[in-house]
Amino acid sequence: MPEGAKTIWDQNATPRHRIQWCPGCGDYAVLNALKAALTALELTPFEVLLVGGIGCSGQIRNYLNGNSFYGTHGGALAYALGAKMANPELTVIALADDGDTLAIGVENFVHTCRRDPDVTLVIMDNGVYGLTKGQDSPSAGLGQPDWVPSEEHPPFLDPVKLALASGATFIAQSFSGDPKHATEVLVEAVRHRGFAVVNDFSPCVTYNKFNTYDWFRAHVEPVPADHDVESADAAWQLIRDFERRAKLPVGIVYRHPRPKGDARRLPMWPAELERVDVEPMLAGLR
Amino acid sequence: MIVNQMKLLVGGVQLRDGVSTITDIVGRILTRCGLHVMGVERGFASTIYGAHQYDPLMITAAPALSWGDEAIDILVGLEYDANPDAPEQPNRDTILRHARHLVDGGVLLYDSSSGPVPTDDLESRGVRVFPIPARQIAQRDLKKEVVKNVVMTGALFRLLEFDQDEQQLRRLLEQRFGRKGPALVDLNLEAARRGRAVVEQVLRERGWTSVGYRLEAVPGAPARVYIGGNEALSIAAIQAGVRFYAGYPITPASSILEFMEAHLPRYGGRALQGANERESIRAALGASATGVLSMVGTSGPGLSLKVEELGVAGITETPLVIVDAMRAGPSTGMPTKAEQGDLFLVTTGGHGEIPRIVLAPSTIEECYTLMLDAVRLADVYQCPVFFLTDLNLSEGRMTLPEATFRAGPRAVQRFLATEADVRGDRYARYRMTQDGISPRLVPGTRGAVAKVNSTEHDEFGFVTTDPPKRVAMMDKRMRKMGTYLQRDARPPQVHGIPGRGPILVGWGATKPALLEAQRRLGAEGVQATVVHFTHLWPFPTHLAKPLLEAGGPVVVVEHNYLGQFADVIQAHCLVPTRRVLKYNGRPLYPSEVVRAVHEVTHNGAVTVRLGGTEPVMVEVGVDA
Repeated sequence: MPEGAKTIWDQNATPRHRIQWCPGCGDYAVLNALKAALTALELTPFEVLLVGGIGCSGQIRNYLNGNSFYGTHGGALAYALGAKMANPELTVIALADDGDTLAIGVENFVHTCRRDPDVTLVIMDNGVYGLTKGQDSPSAGLGQPDWVPSEEHPPFLDPVKLALASGATFIAQSFSGDPKHATEVLVEAVRHRGFAVVNDFSPCVTYNKFNTYDWFRAHVEPVPADHDVESADAAWQLIRDFERRAKLPVGIVYRHPRPKGDARRLPMWPAELERVDVEPMLAGLR
Repeated sequence: MIVNQMKLLVGGVQLRDGVSTITDIVGRILTRCGLHVMGVERGFASTIYGAHQYDPLMITAAPALSWGDEAIDILVGLEYDANPDAPEQPNRDTILRHARHLVDGGVLLYDSSSGPVPTDDLESRGVRVFPIPARQIAQRDLKKEVVKNVVMTGALFRLLEFDQDEQQLRRLLEQRFGRKGPALVDLNLEAARRGRAVVEQVLRERGWTSVGYRLEAVPGAPARVYIGGNEALSIAAIQAGVRFYAGYPITPASSILEFMEAHLPRYGGRALQGANERESIRAALGASATGVLSMVGTSGPGLSLKVEELGVAGITETPLVIVDAMRAGPSTGMPTKAEQGDLFLVTTGGHGEIPRIVLAPSTIEECYTLMLDAVRLADVYQCPVFFLTDLNLSEGRMTLPEATFRAGPRAVQRFLATEADVRGDRYARYRMTQDGISPRLVPGTRGAVAKVNSTEHDEFGFVTTDPPKRVAMMDKRMRKMGTYLQRDARPPQVHGIPGRGPILVGWGATKPALLEAQRRLGAEGVQATVVHFTHLWPFPTHLAKPLLEAGGPVVVVEHNYLGQFADVIQAHCLVPTRRVLKYNGRPLYPSEVVRAVHEVTHNGAVTVRLGGTEPVMVEVGVDA
C-alpha cells in the first residue's frame, strides 16, 4: 500500500471530531488497533459483523465501517453466537466493556467460553460504568491497596481467570497505551478458530482516577517469551506469578484451539429452501 | 352397542404407571386402523414422578367436533398401591377422582394386584367392572414389571372387541423394539394376551357377552398421523424455511426444541438449547440478523424473561417467530395446565412501542397451517410475530390426514436485498418507505453494510435523538402495522349467521368447545354464532366490528381471569362484551358454555366464572 493511502477501514469511518468519547479515552486506541488489525487481516467491511455491547465501548461499532448489530445490555455475545452459527463466513467481533461482559452479561460470557464459537470478544476494561457517570463495575478495585471488600463493593473480578476456568480457548490482554501491541494481539485473536477473549485495559480518563494510563504503564508487563501458551497449567501459573508481584500480564496468556469440523452457512435463499422432504418428520408420528 | 364412539380416560401415577404409554399405543393403533382419536386434554402432573396423571381420549369414526364433556365411557385405573397424593387409598386413586364421571353403563378397568376395590355403587349404575391384576401378571408371570401397561392395553382392546389388536400391536412393537430383538416383542405380545385372557374370564364369570362398546377398524382410510401441536407447527416452520431454532427447556414448549434438534440438521439447519431464555432469543436474533429465518419457543415464564429482546426485535426490525405455548400463570403458576393469560404480555409486553403481530391457532391442524403464515409475516414485516398456543394444543395429539402436511405451500418468498439491489446509492438499512418496510440487506452481502441498531437511529442506522428524525423513524416502524392490516390481517372465522342470537367469541384452543356448544344450543332452539379469531394483533377492527355489531350479546369466552381479549374487543370496537372465564387448569367443556350462555341471555350475567367450588359463578353488572 502506498504511503499515506487510506485503507478501506479508514474510508467512510466516522471522522475523529464526530466521535463522542472523552478526549484521551482508551477506546480511541482500541478503535485504531481494530482498524489496523482488520486491515492487516485483509478483511472487507462486508465480511465483518461488529456486535456492540452497551456502554461507551459499544459505540465503537458505529465508528467503524462494517456491518453492525446493537441490542441489549449484556447480550452482545449471544447475538454474536447466533450470527456466527447462522453464517460462519462472517468475521464476528463482539465489542463490549467490563460492566456489560462481567456483570449483566456474565451468563453469556461463561457459556460462550464453553461453546467456543469462532467469535472474538474485545473487553474495553476500565473499572467503571462510564456512561452512567462512574459507578463501580466488576473490575473496580483493581490494584487498589485500600479497597475493603464488602457486599456492596466486592473485589475485582478477573476476566482472564474466569475465561480460563470456563473453557475459553484463546485468552489475551492488551493495553490502550500500547496500540501497536494491541493490534498484534487482535490479529491473533481474530485468526484464532474459536472463542477469543481479549481484555484490553482501556482507561476511563473521566471517572477512574486510580487506574490511569500512568498506573497501567507501571503495572503491565509482557507475558514472557518462554511462556507455554498451549498449557492451561502454565497459564494458571503465570496468572499466580503476576498476581504475587502485583503485575498485569499483557500478551497471549492461553491459546489452545479445539478440533472443529467445517461449519456451513445455514440455508436462507429461496433455492436453498425449496426442497423439504416431509417424510422423515411424519415417520415418527404414525 | 356403541361402535367407534367413546371417551376413554386412563389414569395412574405419572411416569411409573405409563399412562401416556397406553394412550399413545391406543392413539397410534386406532389412527392406523382408520379411526379418529383426539387426546387434546392432557392431565399431566407438575412433577416427574409420583402424582396423579390422567389422559382422556375421544375416539370416533369421523373427526370429533370437540373433546366432549367430563363424562367418560371407559375408565382405566393403573395404580396398584398407595398414591403419594392419596396415601390412604391403595389402587383406587383414579377411581376416586374420575369414576363419578363414568356414564351409566360405562366400563371400568383397574389394576387389582393389591386387592379388589369396592365398586358396588358403580355397578348399581350399570358400570361393568373389570379387575385386572396387571402388575401381578407382569411381575410374577412375565418377570418384567414394566409390561403391566401392555397387559392393560391387551385387556382394553379385548373388551372393546377390537379384532386387529394382535397384528397392530405386533407391528407397533416391532417398529419400536425391533432392534432390541424379537424376545422383547414376544414378551409384550404375551402380556397383551394375558390381559385378553383375564377379560375373557371376567366376561365368562359375569355372563356378559359384550360391554356395549366396540371398536371396529375402518378400511380404506387415507394415510393419517397421530400428531401434537408442537410437532405440527415445527413441521410447518421447517417447510416455510426456518433453519435456526433456539429454546430453553420449559413445559410445554420443550418438545419443539426436541423435534427441531432431531430434524432441523437434516435440512441444513441448527437447533440450539440456550443456557437460559435470554441466550436463546438473543442467538435467534443474531441468526435472523444474518438473514436466516429464525424461531424461538417458550412458555409464559420464559417469555417474561425474553421481554427485553422483544424491543430489540421491534426497533432493529429483525424478523423473529416467537411461539408461546401458554400455561397457567402467574410466575411458575401451574406448569402443566393450559391457560390464555399471556395475551396482554404479547400485545404490549416491553417498554416503548413496537410493531408486532400476534397469531393464535385454534386446533392442532391450525398449528400447522397458521405457522406457515407466521414465518412469512415475520419476514415480510421484519418484526416479532407471536404464535400463541397452549399446553393442550402443544402436547395434545389427534389424528390428522398426512395429506395436510404434504399439501403445504413451499418455502416463503424471500425479499432480502442483493448486491445488485444496493449498487449505486448508499444503502440505508432503515430507508423511509410508504409501507414502512425497508429493503433488508444482511451482513455478508457484498456492496454495502447494514447498521442494525436498537438505539433510535436515522435511515442509515446511526444513533440519533433529533426530534424530526425520531418521529419519522417511529412512524415508519409503526406504519408497518397499518400495512399489515390492509394486506394480511384475516377476519375471524364465522360459524353461523351473526345477528340471530348470542355471538360466542373465542380465540385459541377453545374453538372445538364453542362449536359443540353452538350445536347443542341449536338443538335447544338458540341460534348462536361462533366468531373465532386467529389474527389477534394488531386487532383487525375493520373486519371484526361489523360482525360484532350485528346484534345479540357478544359473549367472549376465554381461559383467563380478566377477559383479556374481551378488553381488546371493547377498546377497539366499542361494543360491550359479556365474559365467560375459566382458569382452573381444565379445558372448556361444551356443557359449561351452554350453561354460561343461558346465564347471559336469561339472567343478565355480565361475567360467568367457570370451574370453581361452585361450577358456575355469575356476576351481574349495572350495564347488563
